[in-house]
Amino acid sequence: MPPTETTARTDERNQLRRMRLVSLLEGATLVALLFVAVPLKHIAGHPAATSIIGPIHGMAFLLYVWMLIQTVSGADWSRAEIARAVIVAFIPFGAFANERFLKRKELALAGSVSPERKWDTSG
Amino acid sequence: MGYLWLKAFHVGSFSVLIGGMSVSSVFIAMHVTSSRPLAAGESRMIEIVRAWDWKVTTPAMLLAWALGMTMAVQGGWFSSRWLMVKLVLVFGLSALHGVQSGVLRRMARSANRSPPAFLRYSASAILMAIVAIAVLAVVKPF
Repeated sequence: MPPTETTARTDERNQLRRMRLVSLLEGATLVALLFVAVPLKHIAGHPAATSIIGPIHGMAFLLYVWMLIQTVSGADWSRAEIARAVIVAFIPFGAFANERFLKRKELALAGSVSPERKWDTSG
Repeated sequence: MGYLWLKAFHVGSFSVLIGGMSVSSVFIAMHVTSSRPLAAGESRMIEIVRAWDWKVTTPAMLLAWALGMTMAVQGGWFSSRWLMVKLVLVFGLSALHGVQSGVLRRMARSANRSPPAFLRYSASAILMAIVAIAVLAVVKPF
């Protein structure tokens, strides 16, 4: 039996929720790498920090890119939205803006917020 | 964990990934040119393929990445050209898997929409990539 409209929306919202989690993971590991591991290596002389957090961030980044491909392949994202989602992965703290964007898309699916406000940074 | 154990689980998880991707490829290719709505049995089939993709194929991919990266670091292979070529193929396969997974989700949601036409060639692309990856990993030609 084909899914109902409600089931399909719930499925898509769950996808966006997973995407938000992965985005936060990627963002947190990037911040940890740049603001904890790199200073520890170059200022405190502990290179082990980058050799531990570096591969963890590498895995988180790969997972984020994979999730993004999976998410946009199953939904109708504009090119601008895809480009923004890629760019924020390279910017420290960009994941937090991305989290709000994904949250708005999620709420838009629930019909409570216009998706046009997706990049509103007022919180 | 010893190198041989890492290698064994890496090859095992990669095999599971390729098996799952091949199933998805054939299933999606069946519907690429079809414009008719899916029958009830086919909708159920989509859910089964999606569940396999989410519960088996995707974890296998993550395990293959993690084990592969661990072996590459331990072996000091990141400066090797064969590994760079293999990584390009692996990332391509992973991206294809992401597209397949998203398309299956879309098919489950809106059954009357055909998958992108280029996916009809995905099974062939997977086979060619796996042969090239096997040669690069075993022979390490350069």
